[in-house]
Amino acid sequence: MRFLVVDDSSTMRRIIINTLNKLGYTECREAGNGREGLDQLKAGPVDVIVTDWNMPEMSGVEFARAVRANDDTKAVPILMVTTNAAEGDIVEALKAGVNNYVVKPFTPATIKEKIEAVTKA
Amino acid sequence: MSVSSPLLATLVSATEEVFDTMLAIPLAARPAATGPLEAPANIVATVAFAGHRKGLVVVYTSTAAARRITSSMLGIPLQDVNGEVPDAIGEIANMVAGTFRNRLAAVEPRSDISVPAVTIGSDFSTVYSSSLHRYRCPFDMPGGLPGDGLSVELILTGESDTTA
Repeated sequence: MRFLVVDDSSTMRRIIINTLNKLGYTECREAGNGREGLDQLKAGPVDVIVTDWNMPEMSGVEFARAVRANDDTKAVPILMVTTNAAEGDIVEALKAGVNNYVVKPFTPATIKEKIEAVTKA
Repeated sequence: MSVSSPLLATLVSATEEVFDTMLAIPLAARPAATGPLEAPANIVATVAFAGHRKGLVVVYTSTAAARRITSSMLGIPLQDVNGEVPDAIGEIANMVAGTFRNRLAAVEPRSDISVPAVTIGSDFSTVYSSSLHRYRCPFDMPGGLPGDGLSVELILTGESDTTA
């Protein structure tokens, strides 16, 4: 399964990719914001997107809307990993096209559970 | 005016959760303090919050502690830690402030947080207005020297709600 990890924090990208690797997912590409994420999607398809919310240039919510608006990527599951945990935030993310939501800090078990949820849906 | 113990307890438990979950480092909290740091902090990460409450969450670490934190966080050997420290400590501050904010939002109107700002150096001091309320929560980390661990400070403006 091919992953695209989008986060402006290189630390968080590394943590998420390390977690994915430990779960057996070794095909991971990365981007530093939503705009770079869209460029990565143009470069080649992915099976799951993991994205932060708060990023410069293009936020995770704007990125999700752009992914859903493109026929080539509109079906790709999106998992959002963020510190934003308010109910209103989650509703906004889901409306933008995010499939599931992980609040930081997280355990590998949570990431595994959410990936399985978005890929089975 | 003093900050309520539940508010500081929320900050302590948020910090412990971040370190336990993301780094597998069990922190040992020491009594809250209001005076100067016990040891110089070479890395200072700040996240502001605004809304129901207004203020800052500030994370202070020594270089040695920051390197240990970064090593655990990224799963890399201590000797290989180099330029990753600023982003790693900034992310720690972001998660501590975010978890603190999320826990308070369960019982009160929400506050929003800023992106983290990180300062690194060996000869600097941070000065805040004397009208602010400052409460520092020191922690010891396993394998570290007492006082050479981590401190998390809660700084609230005068008009903030200081109860929880």
